[in-house]
Amino acid sequence: MKQPPDDRAKNFEASKFSGDGFLGGDPRPVDEIISDDTRDLERTGISRDDLATALETAYLKARNALGAIVEVAPGVQGEFFESRGRIPCPFRGCGVFEKGEAALSVSDSRKPVIVTSLGIHMIAAHGFFQGRGSRFRIEPVETARLLNIGGH
Amino acid sequence: MNGDMLLSILIPVAFLSALGFILAALLVLAEKKIMNYGPCDIDINTGEKKITVKGGSSLLSSLAEHDIFVPSACGGRGSCAYCKVKVLEGGGMIGPVEDPYLSPAEREGKVRLSCQVKVRTPVKIEVPRELFSVKRFKGVLERKRPLTNDIVELRIRISTPPSAIEFIAGQYIQLQSPEYKGRESVMRAYSISSSPSEKDHIELVIRKVPDGICTTWVFDFLKEGQQVDLSGPYGEFHLSNTDAPIIFIAGGSGMAPIYSMLRRMRETAGVRQATYFFGATRHRDLFYLEELRGLEKELASFTFVPALSNEPPDSEWKGERGLITQVAQKHVPDPSKHEAYLCGSPGMIDSSIKMLTNGGMPANKIFYDKFS
Repeated sequence: MKQPPDDRAKNFEASKFSGDGFLGGDPRPVDEIISDDTRDLERTGISRDDLATALETAYLKARNALGAIVEVAPGVQGEFFESRGRIPCPFRGCGVFEKGEAALSVSDSRKPVIVTSLGIHMIAAHGFFQGRGSRFRIEPVETARLLNIGGH
Repeated sequence: MNGDMLLSILIPVAFLSALGFILAALLVLAEKKIMNYGPCDIDINTGEKKITVKGGSSLLSSLAEHDIFVPSACGGRGSCAYCKVKVLEGGGMIGPVEDPYLSPAEREGKVRLSCQVKVRTPVKIEVPRELFSVKRFKGVLERKRPLTNDIVELRIRISTPPSAIEFIAGQYIQLQSPEYKGRESVMRAYSISSSPSEKDHIELVIRKVPDGICTTWVFDFLKEGQQVDLSGPYGEFHLSNTDAPIIFIAGGSGMAPIYSMLRRMRETAGVRQATYFFGATRHRDLFYLEELRGLEKELASFTFVPALSNEPPDSEWKGERGLITQVAQKHVPDPSKHEAYLCGSPGMIDSSIKMLTNGGMPANKIFYDKFS
């Protein structure tokens, strides 16, 4: 069901499912976040599908390692953290996604990239990488570089 | 485009939008205040239980008014998809809100989101029998103790009403976190780790989820002596009534239902052969070691096998190392005559099922509580 834009925006705020919401204090509307990230990603020549696929591969490698730290891409370590329950997509109408997160990191002090099944879905289906400041924000260009994909 | 032209477009659009909104609001109001569907019968499990409710409300809330609590995490907003029940007759068409949450098999099986089904006519439904014994409880937190750096044990005394909870080892409750720091009140599921014989208390094993609404409340705000709200018991994960040897596999807070089953086995002097494979990353992530070693002494046919997947090679750990599925496979190369009980992350469950079925275990002998 299509929601009016004002109602849809509420889905991205803190709720029963996401304690801090999906925007992380980013003042930009969702559509603007999507268009900014799409433009940045296009400059690298990488499609969002390619990035989503690479993230899913890394996510599954970490998920299937049952808590052990594993190499999910060359030089990238992944560790999976379990979480009980499911979470709906804030765009609505896409079903629910298992919780649990894979933390992807390299051996420097950079903050890990937190990848979830919902996060991957939102990139692939909606081009939404979440707002800046969100713990689950995936910086498209940096993450593509981290996973060593495409022609950036 | 000049200002006048823009206004001439915007005014009608605004007018039509406002009109649409008012009409929609009037329809909702009319349904609530004017429409009278009268009493409607709900037949549950082909006559096993019959209730009469005032028509017009959701199936979820109508059942709750008669103390039948279908699990729900979103409070009836149609977004968590926890409240699925079979609606055999009288459910009406599948609505757009629930549509994306139903698989083709569920549609075929007449599964619906009970929060989205309006009771306007007689309705026939099917629900798990276990739901009949679900109740809402108030309790008092008697003890909160850390088990690892991110897992705590809660011991809750059931206070009112009634002051006893009947459950089967393996089941779970929903714990309600209140509003705090601008976060909404939520219900989250946690397996019970205590024995069903202890009816006036329950124990839970809860792992902290980074930024999780309920677990942040549990870890950072919930204090001993504080009142808590919960409902339960829920779930169909429990030991079967056979003599088949058991393989338990769990990790993290998946310990809880298995520990409850083992405590129950001790009380009933269980003689079933059972091996419990518990997976953790590092030695510091293990807990209940003393208790489980104690159970090994008390239950003659029970073996506990903890395994660490990421323990430094030079540590003092003398036990098993590796993924828990590999360790289980090494100990039980032929699981074809066993039953398996699994609790943990979806990844652990998926890997365990694959390992067990590859080893010849029939799929219908594998029971699990997949954290989803």
